[in-house]
Amino acid sequence: MSDRTIGPNADIGEDTLGESVDAPPEPERVGPPISFRTRLTLGLMAAAILPLAGFGILLLVASTVMGPAADPTTGRLLLFAIIVAGLVGILIAYLLAADLTGPLRAIAAAVDRVSAGDLSARIYVSGDDEVARLAESHNRLSGDLERRNRELGRILAAIETASPRDGVDWLVGRAAAHAKAAFEMIDAKIQLVNPRTVPVEEDVPGDPRPVRAELRIAGEELGVLTGHLPATRAWERGDQDLLELFASEIAVAIRNAQLFAVVEAQNAQLLELDAVKDDFLRGVSHNLQTPLTSIRAYAEQLARDRPDHRLGIIGEQADRLSRIVRQLLTVTRLESGALKPRGEVLSVAPRVKRAWEALGAGAVSFTLDDQSNGWLAIADADQLDQVLWALLDNALQYGGGTPVACEVGLASDGRVRLTIRDGGPGVNDADRGRLFGRFVRGTHQEAGEGSGLGLYVSRELCRAMNGDLVLDPPMPGRGAGFSVYLPGEPPDES
Amino acid sequence: MLTGGPAGAFGGAARILIVDDDPNLLVLLADQLRADGFETATARDGEEALRRLRSGWPDLLIIDMMMPRMDGLTLAREIKGRADLPIIVLSAIDAGDSKADLLEEVAEDYVTKPYHYPELRARINRVLRRLGDKVPRKSLRLGPTLTLDLHRREATVGGQAVQLSPTESRLLYALAANLGQTVTTETLLARGWAETEDADPSYVWVTMRRLRQKVEADPNHPVHLLTARGIGYRLVAEQRPADADAPAADG
Repeated sequence: MSDRTIGPNADIGEDTLGESVDAPPEPERVGPPISFRTRLTLGLMAAAILPLAGFGILLLVASTVMGPAADPTTGRLLLFAIIVAGLVGILIAYLLAADLTGPLRAIAAAVDRVSAGDLSARIYVSGDDEVARLAESHNRLSGDLERRNRELGRILAAIETASPRDGVDWLVGRAAAHAKAAFEMIDAKIQLVNPRTVPVEEDVPGDPRPVRAELRIAGEELGVLTGHLPATRAWERGDQDLLELFASEIAVAIRNAQLFAVVEAQNAQLLELDAVKDDFLRGVSHNLQTPLTSIRAYAEQLARDRPDHRLGIIGEQADRLSRIVRQLLTVTRLESGALKPRGEVLSVAPRVKRAWEALGAGAVSFTLDDQSNGWLAIADADQLDQVLWALLDNALQYGGGTPVACEVGLASDGRVRLTIRDGGPGVNDADRGRLFGRFVRGTHQEAGEGSGLGLYVSRELCRAMNGDLVLDPPMPGRGAGFSVYLPGEPPDES
Repeated sequence: MLTGGPAGAFGGAARILIVDDDPNLLVLLADQLRADGFETATARDGEEALRRLRSGWPDLLIIDMMMPRMDGLTLAREIKGRADLPIIVLSAIDAGDSKADLLEEVAEDYVTKPYHYPELRARINRVLRRLGDKVPRKSLRLGPTLTLDLHRREATVGGQAVQLSPTESRLLYALAANLGQTVTTETLLARGWAETEDADPSYVWVTMRRLRQKVEADPNHPVHLLTARGIGYRLVAEQRPADADAPAADG
């Protein structure tokens, strides 16, 4: 054990001790080469026997010089000798105490520093005595603490940097590398298999020491972390606890990464499906609109050469069919968020007029009252046309041939308002609440009339254009009224 | 065929190449356009269209979006890669579709199916008219805080990309082609709303107001989009003195 001693250590007293407390990095070198027990024995003997021996010698000398005849000075001399012997005893005892407590104080100071967080403090004590063993225990304790602290630091750093986006494979590889570094292993690997399929290695003294921790999460076994330590490396319960803590944290990180990968894959799949659906709908739209385009255009061309109201009906019905196809497409696009209306400047009243004309309902009376003072709406013309067609078509169907009245005006908040009203029976109370739902028809409406999407699509479109569509409160003697609100702008030169 | 119809790039009737996989539509549209004095040629698919381009360039192409083998978008890109010919896409896709923006990147305009012939004709005429003041397909830097990328319908304002509507970019085209000069409200109206019969000057005023909110740092004190009251508007590059505060920015 004396090989732990570093450098000369013969006579080190309190002075050296005081210095070493001030300079922590300097290793403590305390204690003479003689063992603690020997020194204690010798010291006690010296403190007890030396004064007695001195007193005895003095007594002997005095009795020899002065003879057996008692002298009055002999008593005083003896008293003096007793005092001197006592003083010498105290001195020896003091020196002995100083010598013995030196190393203990050094150890106490080192323990203080350890508890204050300085784990690098070591005490170097020579010899093989009790104090040296105490110092050695301390050194081992603080060494273990320091190592585990370091391991913990590396583990925490490794766990902190783990992100579910890294992917499982990369995370596993990096976690193994972190474990290897943190625990100063020769090798380390993480296998994502049932731990029972990985045999437990036997610890052969002299060979690298195998270590192992299972990756568990809520009782489920994700895999196992295995590795080897240098044969000389200490591996205690605290180290194993830390390794298991690390394994459980890594298990959480790996599970997160696995879940993240699943979500990512599902997302990608959904996006792909969405794109497929979009393409499919475009194809359907194309295949339906192309023949309608021909029908419409030929009817138009024929009518130019030979006017016939039946050709007009063909054109109008083709338009109607094409609008219904568009409406269906608009619904799916609104729901997938693919529809992004533009904000262009437009005048609402002329568009209402054109939309009405396109419906070809010449027999029904139509009035348009423009109170907007030239205010313009900010809307997407194509989408607004869809809304207008739906609302006017609605008024025609539910009004039962009664006059359709439109009014364009300004709402108090500066929005442009368009109200379309028919003279029919109005909306009954049962329908008011559910009118804007999908595939909703009036309770008195026959199946097959309309798609049931018109109001739903119209409201969604208006909202997408930063506007709204509302059902007006019922007015006695008048039919249903719907109001469209759109952002408005005054017609001033800027 | 020389008639009194719309003029092409080199005088004479404007030549239009129609590309669509529906033969009914090809015949019909060619008839309609010929009746209005255009010279027309037709192609059934992208390959045929590219073959026809080898023997001569039309003044304008009308391309169907959905065709077998090569779709309209690919064809339009292919054509633009060879020559900057004006393209109108004819498609069942409407303006709200996310693909519509892609179309406008490569096409001058697009018309939804089923088309109304008068509207299609108005758009053809507008595209042909606009050829004269075509803005090159590159960025136009007007000052330290404003750059226009009109071919992408985009402005960069103080580092932020701002989307422009088709009409807004058409107006900026017209103004940028006459940079620093006043363009009358009537001209802007004709450029922006050729096919809208009920448009009036207030359309221009309101659009300019909205444009300022998009591209000016302070819409109430514009430095790029200036009003010539009662006449029209002009687009100006920011003057040097205005840069004095930011010498690092090169104008």
